[in-house]
Amino acid sequence: MSNVPVSAFLALALILFCIGLYGALSKRNTVIVLISIELMLNAVNINLVTFSKYGPAPSINGQIFALFAIAIAAAEAAIGLAILIALYNNRKTVNIDEMDQLKH
Amino acid sequence: MENAWLIPLFPLLSFLVLLIAGRRLREASAYAGILLTLASLAMSVYMLAERFTKPTFKSESVWLTIGDLKLTAGFEVNQLNALMLVIVSLVSFLVHIYSRGYMHGDERFPVFYAYLGLFTFAMLGLVLSPNLLQTYIFWELVGLGSFLLIGFYFYKESAKHAAQKAFIMTRIGDVGLLIGMILLFWQTGSFEYDEIFASVKEGAVSETMITLTAILIFIGAVGKSGQFPLHTWLPDAMEGPTPVSALIHAATMVAAGVYLVAATFPLFAASETALMTVSVIGAFTAIFAASIGIVQKDIKRVLAYSTVSQLGYMMLALGSAGYVAGVFHLMTHAFFKALLFLAAGSVIHAVHTQDIEKMGGLWKKLRFTAPLFLIGTLAISGVPLFSGFFSKDEILVAAWVHGNKALFWLAVTAAFFTAFYMFRLFFMVFAGEARTHMKNVHESPGSMIFPMAVLGVLAIASGYINTPWFGTFLGDWLVEGNSALGHGHVEGPAWIMIVATLVSLSGILLAYLIYVKRSISRDWLISRAPLTYNVLRNKYYIDEFYGMTFVYGAKAVSLFLRFIETFLVEGLVKTVTVFVQTLGKTGSKIQSGQVQTYGAIAFVGLAVLMVIFALTGGYL
Amino acid sequence: MLSGEFIAFIGLALVAIMGGVLLLNLTKVVHMVVALVFTFVSIAGIYVLLSAEFLAAVQILIYSGAITIIMLFGIMLTKHNDESEAKGIGWRKILLFLGVLAFGAAVYIGIYDLDFTSETSSLHVKNTEQIGLALYSDYIIPFELTSVVLLVTLVGAIILARKDDNGKEGDKE
Repeated sequence: MSNVPVSAFLALALILFCIGLYGALSKRNTVIVLISIELMLNAVNINLVTFSKYGPAPSINGQIFALFAIAIAAAEAAIGLAILIALYNNRKTVNIDEMDQLKH
Repeated sequence: MENAWLIPLFPLLSFLVLLIAGRRLREASAYAGILLTLASLAMSVYMLAERFTKPTFKSESVWLTIGDLKLTAGFEVNQLNALMLVIVSLVSFLVHIYSRGYMHGDERFPVFYAYLGLFTFAMLGLVLSPNLLQTYIFWELVGLGSFLLIGFYFYKESAKHAAQKAFIMTRIGDVGLLIGMILLFWQTGSFEYDEIFASVKEGAVSETMITLTAILIFIGAVGKSGQFPLHTWLPDAMEGPTPVSALIHAATMVAAGVYLVAATFPLFAASETALMTVSVIGAFTAIFAASIGIVQKDIKRVLAYSTVSQLGYMMLALGSAGYVAGVFHLMTHAFFKALLFLAAGSVIHAVHTQDIEKMGGLWKKLRFTAPLFLIGTLAISGVPLFSGFFSKDEILVAAWVHGNKALFWLAVTAAFFTAFYMFRLFFMVFAGEARTHMKNVHESPGSMIFPMAVLGVLAIASGYINTPWFGTFLGDWLVEGNSALGHGHVEGPAWIMIVATLVSLSGILLAYLIYVKRSISRDWLISRAPLTYNVLRNKYYIDEFYGMTFVYGAKAVSLFLRFIETFLVEGLVKTVTVFVQTLGKTGSKIQSGQVQTYGAIAFVGLAVLMVIFALTGGYL
Repeated sequence: MLSGEFIAFIGLALVAIMGGVLLLNLTKVVHMVVALVFTFVSIAGIYVLLSAEFLAAVQILIYSGAITIIMLFGIMLTKHNDESEAKGIGWRKILLFLGVLAFGAAVYIGIYDLDFTSETSSLHVKNTEQIGLALYSDYIIPFELTSVVLLVTLVGAIILARKDDNGKEGDKE
């Protein structure tokens, strides 16, 4: 029925995940880091939905899972932004390499 | 005798009390010291009296257990110990009394008494020790007490140096003692005197080893007793207060070396070579120090050299198998030399100088000190009827009988020198007219006269307990029940006594002619033999020789070692520290506090793991 | 051979990846976010291909709508000096890039020939109804818990913001 192989979807998810990972670990701007993390979550969601359709035991559960993931991701983004702004008000910077309080 | 262990504890108590409460007691601390020493003295006398009737008492308990080995600690009261106990506690007691007058007004008065207590404790402990290990501990404690007391006037540069010198020189000897002790332990498996002597008697220890250990122990005695070549510290030790010189550097500590040889006498007796070494060193020291004493100008230094010389006599006696003679002379010497030092202290107290060139004519001014000093001088010179005469005679007889005639004549010459320089000292201080103007010359207080009087009586009387005329009571008692110690009395030709008398009288006569009658000019003598005079004046340049050789040698070695230290050791250490520091710095740089970096590193690590996993084919 | 589905996939995948690459390489922060919107939208398309129509709608609503707007707010509320981003390529970035490559390769080895012989699913039939049934039956407890989490998030975000205001006022005084 389908001529798009499973591995194609998985590969797409992998590529997006890698891009997100690289962005999260290399960008200086904290907002972009947060966005990159969203991208990584999206890649995971693709995986979940793919297995929901083409997995060994296809069922609706994968999609439900993805739904929950999206909900939590939205919450995470909101909290992340709130923390970022709190931090910005204290330190007047959004550059991640200037946030080194862990050192002290 | 079960309570003999209390004897050293009284002075220790005095030390502790004065250490804690000395500041508050001020000069009253003298009474604490005197009373506690008196307790020691009373007990010592009691022990001695008891020892006359009862056998040797020994009590020990296990101190340390190492594997099968048991180290014991305890105390022993035999003839020699009991005698030494009385000598030490008596002299210490008298010095305690004397110091009350002599040290009066000193700022560190209580400290002085505390140190005296410490020293007395150590000395009494040394005397009571039944084994070598315990002896060694107290031996070092005695050294410490001596160091503290010599350096009592530590603000004086010379006193500081003297204290250091005394400590270092005696340490050289101590190393010998320590090695000898360890060798003996290795050979016999025990530190106990009794067991060591027993195994020596059985022949369990080889001849060479006996000689070696005996000589090593003798080296310890050489250091403590100021024998040649380690004698140089003793004259310098006169920087300490005069009562200290009387207690430590005349009567007790320096006698510790002689005591040690006497205590280990059976060991020495088993080796002819060791005895020979002891007697040769003793005889040489006797004449060597006596010759230096002739030209010294400091009243205490003359006495110091005479001490060295007399200790040489004792060593000669012990080396000539004259155990009794050595111990006897040790006792009489303790009394008359302590008397001499105390009298000298009294003179110094009166005129505030130690230079005999500046004294003179004090006979009339020091009514009590002068006759007492004369008694001491007569005793040490070996004039008949005084104690020194009998003990010196014993030594000469022992030397003659033992067979080495050269040593005998050396001893006789030394006796001549002794008589000469002691009377030179006496005449220059007391006879004639004052050579410099002396103000406020006054007799010392009663607290200083009393001890001298007691010692004066002893300096005369103590000789009579062992004479060829009235019986050799001391000698018989000392060797009772122990054949290894030799005979109580050695019969010698009668002419020896006459020779000894003649020699000492001629020495006195010569001194009289030069220093009182002035029929022989001093300057003439000096101008005739300037070289000899200068050599003697500079104590044979021994100090200079040590300065040139050992001190420079040590400096060269230490420079070399310092070179190694700076470039090799420190280099190594630096390398290590730099390495560790770099490591730490790198580590702290990694700890930048940036979460992103941490994440990156953690992720790279994960990636590496995954690649390894994939390459090794562990996937699925 | 090329079915419409395949062509759609290729197109959507390309747009998604392009969005990601642009995210990494653009200099202005706002541009990055816009680039990411393309990715999110094309991912929604991918969901449609995978017969998850409801999820596709949620994706567009939440990601392309809500999260992007939040991010834009975040960007606007903070100051940015965009030039600081282009700061040369440090050893860290190279190492990281190699690490990501190695990670991708290692995972790719695991997935490139993955194939499940699966029965045909009927997910595309009344997809939303199926999700609704599942949510309100099997997953009712997680569903309710999620609502709690969202509430907590809301309150938490407000508290964080309020605290800042107080702090700010304190600073000014």
